[in-house]
Amino acid sequence: MGVVSKMSIIRLFFKGFKQGIHEFGTSIGSIINSVLLTLTYFVGVGLTSVVAKAVHKHFLETEISKRKKTYWSDLNLTKKPIEEYYRRF
Amino acid sequence: MYILGIGCYYHDSSAALLNDGKIVAAAAEERFTRMKHDTSFPINAINYCLKSQEITIDDVDYIGFYEKPFIKFERVLFQHIEMFPRSFKTFLSSTPSWLNEKLRTIGTIRKKLKYKGDVMFIEHHMAHAASSFLASPFNKAAILTIDGVGEWTTTAYGICKDNNINLIKEIKFPHSIGLLYSTITAYLGFSVNNSEYKVMGLSAYGIMDTKKNPYYKRLKKVIDIKDDGSYRLNMKYFIYHYANRMPSKKLCDLLGGPIRKKDGEITKRHKDIAAALQMITEEVVVKILSYLHKVTKLDNIVIAGGVGLNSVNNGKILKNTPFKHIWIQPDAGDGGTSMGVALYIYYTILGNKRDYVLKSAYLGPEFISKEIREFLDFHKIKYSEFKNDDELVKRVAHLIYKNNIIGWFQGKMEWGPRALGSRSIIANPCNPEMKDILNLKVKHREYFRPFAPVVCRDDVEDYFDCDTPLPDSTDFMLMVYPIKKKWHDKIPSVTHVDGSGRLQTIRREQNSLFYDLIREFEKFSGIPILINTSFNIRGEPIVCNPYDAYRCMMGTGIDYLVIDRFLIAREDNPHHMWNSKQDIKD
Repeated sequence: MGVVSKMSIIRLFFKGFKQGIHEFGTSIGSIINSVLLTLTYFVGVGLTSVVAKAVHKHFLETEISKRKKTYWSDLNLTKKPIEEYYRRF
Repeated sequence: MYILGIGCYYHDSSAALLNDGKIVAAAAEERFTRMKHDTSFPINAINYCLKSQEITIDDVDYIGFYEKPFIKFERVLFQHIEMFPRSFKTFLSSTPSWLNEKLRTIGTIRKKLKYKGDVMFIEHHMAHAASSFLASPFNKAAILTIDGVGEWTTTAYGICKDNNINLIKEIKFPHSIGLLYSTITAYLGFSVNNSEYKVMGLSAYGIMDTKKNPYYKRLKKVIDIKDDGSYRLNMKYFIYHYANRMPSKKLCDLLGGPIRKKDGEITKRHKDIAAALQMITEEVVVKILSYLHKVTKLDNIVIAGGVGLNSVNNGKILKNTPFKHIWIQPDAGDGGTSMGVALYIYYTILGNKRDYVLKSAYLGPEFISKEIREFLDFHKIKYSEFKNDDELVKRVAHLIYKNNIIGWFQGKMEWGPRALGSRSIIANPCNPEMKDILNLKVKHREYFRPFAPVVCRDDVEDYFDCDTPLPDSTDFMLMVYPIKKKWHDKIPSVTHVDGSGRLQTIRREQNSLFYDLIREFEKFSGIPILINTSFNIRGEPIVCNPYDAYRCMMGTGIDYLVIDRFLIAREDNPHHMWNSKQDIKD
């Protein structure tokens, strides 16, 4: 086996190795993300939800009422001072 | 002064560029990336806008974004809290994109565009409202914005006067007529945020009578509509507020069967469900507008939001409500918000005098003869060249009359989801078989889909039972009207099963070549109407450049491509390199 083909095998090996490491890193990243998001969901979202339900607080208005005459609610969205438009909220 | 409007990260990303109050360029990102309804940051559309005016990002004075991302994130978070623990899967799948992308809008704009100037954020429904009113011919009008969902708002109404828009009342998420339409679209086996117009087309095959349609009463159980048009959905029938799917099992039970499989048979039941949905949508819109007229006492109405693309509904508004004039811009959906935000900054926030009306939708990229010739020569494509427009129009009109199908690629690409004579497939509407030929061999799409007629504006009243005076939005193919009975047999390929047609009117000052072509066709056929459908195959965006157009022609049954003054016959060129049929998607 010539020096050139040996070099190309080594290069191929390192290329594959690098790609494998990259994929491994991505997978580990996804797993860590999922674990952290799961923790956030059950601790942050879950606890808030439990407390909200205990005090009958609703974040989405889903009730249908035959007695209500309208479902329109006030918005009153109109021109604001210019600095308001630089905000993302 | 240049203002760049951007809309992205939900569906139909787009960019629009305003120069001293006039929209000078606008395009959807999907046309460049070739991904239908592309949601990504519209870097290609932005680059096109800047290049078209020969400016750089440093020349842009303001950039506007089409929503308030933190308010939208608040709504998403509240959904998760309210629906805990059922929202777990969507929390895991959607949160990374919020953290990595959607909440970093300013950073992304600065990084991707190297922009150092001001960035402004406008509420989603305000961007919709501005896209319609500030581009309309009205100084005073009532406004209705109605779509899937913005930050919290799904439906809003208000009053617009001069430069100001006041959205007075709203209906909030999860109650949304747009999401109801999408849910039934999903139930009928079509893709959400894409195929709602198919359901609209299918509805004409069902029973459009509230008393006779068995699904109308059933579907009314999912929505409570008040006399003033306000409504709420019974959320037991939906799961979109916590899952990645939309209809609940309860909805399937109500409608008497499971979700239709994508390639499953379309039965009478499906058609009647589509009709019931269309009737409910029309009922809600008519009730809201009647109430809105009572509140505002104005004669003009402007509509924006995805539901504003429901052309069947649009064509009935002036007939069924007290409003006398209507305006809808060519891209009433989310794609249009980039235009809305740019207009809002210039006219409302900065208070410049209004002097702009959007009269034409030709705002996209165009290609000069030299570029096209180079493309054709490079790919060794056989073509002939016309000496002038007269020769072109005569030859092409004759080809259409002889039942050839033409890919028509001329000038600037259209803004919005409709092909309006720049990137169109055109054919003979008098041939009764043309609809099936186009549906099966060219567009590779469902048999029930209708084709739109394009007619010279001067002749419209001879052929259609339309509103008088005719709304300008007919120029953008946004209204469906009944075709006069005596013409049903004469133009069968554009007459839908219920006798209607999704009309596009054309004026010579908008597109003289297209207008002259229709007039020339009239000399052969006696009819000043052509079939006009979008130049694409199913699942792909409308073609943008000569490469897309040629590729589309070679993969379909299009006979000729007319691109600038060049005529290319499909039969003269080898097909095997350009088979786009394999790329058909939903």
